[in-house]
Amino acid sequence: MEPLHARYPFLARSREAVEAAAVDLGEIVATDETVTARALERVESAITDGTVGEPHRRTRVELLSYPVARVLVSLVDVHICTRKYAQAEAEAAYDRFTEEFETTTELKSTQRETLDRTELLAEFDLASAVSDAGDGYRVEVGAYLDLAADQRGDSWRLVNRPLADGEVRVTAEELNVLLKQAIRHRVTDGLPFTVPDAIADELTEEVDRLEEVLSELELTREIDTVVPELFPPCMKSLLDQVQKGEHLEHHSRFAIATFLVGIGMTTDEIVDLFQVNPGFGEEATRYQVDHIRGDTSPTEYSTPACSTMQSYGDCVNMDDLCEAISHPMGYYEQKLDDTDEEELVDWREDEGDEEADA
Amino acid sequence: MEERTRAYLRGRFGDHYRQASVTPPPAANEREWGFIPWTEGPGETMVRHRSLLDLGEIEDFLGRRKPRHVYFSAGRYDEPSASTMSDKGWRSSDLVFDLDADHLPSVVLGEDSYAEMLAKCKDALLRLLDFLEEDFGFDDLTVVFSGGRGYHVHVRDERIRHLERDARREIVDYVRGIGLEFDELVDEESVAGTAGRSSPAQKRTLSTEGGWSARAHRHMLAVVDDLLAMEEADALDRLQEYDGIGEGKATAALNAARSNYEQLEAGNIDVHPAFYQLAKILLHEVVAADNAPIDEPVTTDTNRLIRLPGSLHGGSGLEVQRIDREDIDAFDPLVDPVPETFRGHDITVEVTDGGLVELDGDSFTLEAGNQTVPEHVGVFLMARGRAEKGKE
Ligand code: SF4
Repeated sequence: MEPLHARYPFLARSREAVEAAAVDLGEIVATDETVTARALERVESAITDGTVGEPHRRTRVELLSYPVARVLVSLVDVHICTRKYAQAEAEAAYDRFTEEFETTTELKSTQRETLDRTELLAEFDLASAVSDAGDGYRVEVGAYLDLAADQRGDSWRLVNRPLADGEVRVTAEELNVLLKQAIRHRVTDGLPFTVPDAIADELTEEVDRLEEVLSELELTREIDTVVPELFPPCMKSLLDQVQKGEHLEHHSRFAIATFLVGIGMTTDEIVDLFQVNPGFGEEATRYQVDHIRGDTSPTEYSTPACSTMQSYGDCVNMDDLCEAISHPMGYYEQKLDDTDEEELVDWREDEGDEEADA
Repeated sequence: MEERTRAYLRGRFGDHYRQASVTPPPAANEREWGFIPWTEGPGETMVRHRSLLDLGEIEDFLGRRKPRHVYFSAGRYDEPSASTMSDKGWRSSDLVFDLDADHLPSVVLGEDSYAEMLAKCKDALLRLLDFLEEDFGFDDLTVVFSGGRGYHVHVRDERIRHLERDARREIVDYVRGIGLEFDELVDEESVAGTAGRSSPAQKRTLSTEGGWSARAHRHMLAVVDDLLAMEEADALDRLQEYDGIGEGKATAALNAARSNYEQLEAGNIDVHPAFYQLAKILLHEVVAADNAPIDEPVTTDTNRLIRLPGSLHGGSGLEVQRIDREDIDAFDPLVDPVPETFRGHDITVEVTDGGLVELDGDSFTLEAGNQTVPEHVGVFLMARGRAEKGKE
């Protein structure tokens, strides 16, 4: 196990080093407090401040804490935790390799082994997709899109790039950002996986700790945020029809109303929203919404599951995420989790702003 | 559609399939297949989630089942016949583009004839191919006439088959010119203060290397060339037709263009503020003129079913036809896809919805009632629901 492995634990050769050392993960988590503590720190810091914390001074501990951290993330099995963790690992690696790339070109020290760009590109099968263009690089469009499609900012959009003969021009700095994304994909790959009980049992304390951290931060975002762009396709379509003033059948109307109640809209807000539609009298709407809410009835009604939506023909425009969920609410929760906090604009706040401006 | 019409069409589709040769797409056995039979009653039910194993050899299947429409998936799967997408095990998808006259902004529905719509569609196809070949550098393109109102392009380049929805949306946005930002296209570079200026200045250039910036650059130069070839007064008038360009700016932009032509050729558009403003306007023009208005969901949906080239379109009786790259210019969508089977003899149909039909180089103005027409015209009318089979 070399220092380079510990700095870049996601590399194939680092994993091989762990394998070659024939360490038994079960034994490590049972006996090696230092490794589990460092693993916990990796994940905890990822959640709280987007870093993986200070590396442990012992190469062995630092390197082994990586597979253990992955075990922890798998046990916690919360989407946002996995995402934050992969992001933090990628950031840490990015800081290291950008620094090392510079040292390699300037004053090459033979003190320690460093990672160069060529090796990193080869690691992610990008060797043939990226070529040197003198003052920057050319990246094959397929590889570029893999790594740039979820970058934020107009400058990453393919439409704003000089694309010629299947290659996209990028600067050296941009290529580093793309490599960071490749690392993030690598870390995310295979997470979460199934952890044998024997290992899980040794890590209950650490998992509890992480769950506590997650709940303290309220990272699992409250569902009562109204962001129509993130609505499941069925609800988008129903809302659309409501706003176009189209007639909705009872079950459709029930579905959209329960959904809106479920995500925390008040009766007044829903009445306002439905008002544009002459088919929805205020009184009737108010009554129905209160009824759903359980104010005027003993039962609190919840949004129908996808199977019910399907049998009523309210399930439309299914997308990839639909394949993975069974309830429109689950769809929305997942979407909220996937979206960064800063990007979420609650509809009601948005409307408020407009009014304030006017 | 009456039963006798349906039976007739089904029979004739079968006759056609028995002699036609249909080449399946590559990796046909990894794809999902679907078809719509000639069933009775309203609404068409698609039979889908079939693998080639379920259907059998494709030509044999077509001759036997004589389907009304046939599709295969852009996606390739571990288990193409599994009934849900998650059980199918997605491997990769062709990148598919659909140009449909119904979605073209230049088409005036209800006003343009079928032939006019198809002609506009072909223009859009050529623009699309320019993006795919020049910008994206794809060389494995399959161009297909859809049998209806448009064209499909299938790209099976290995380097893009694994792309997921978000990445495909970027490709859609690219060819449609969506999200194009002038400020992003322009490279800014600080240059040392030129004579008369003390502080370093910005030099803003359009990359001539490729992409929308090269398109914008080409368009800009073409406009400049036109302007410089005109009489001064005409050029100034022309410039003032642009929004926000008055006489002063027109004069300044024109002079700047004249005295800095080489700079412009090299991509520098910072020759004068008025010219810079003009360049920005021209970008909008180029997007409007060059973009290819493809139907977005077809391209982003990695599980999409697409019509099988070589099959017949059940809504027109025309062949869904592969077109060789070099034959596109000469391709006539109202002649070439007319199946040989339906040529050369007449049938009687009961026209319900008359009017103009242009097909196979001929045109017919039909009145309602019993008419004797060439079979391909009859099939076209019946498939479109404009006629029933004449009673024998
Ligand atoms: S699958 Fe569920 S969430 Fe998706 S559109 Fe259908 S009902 Fe809505």
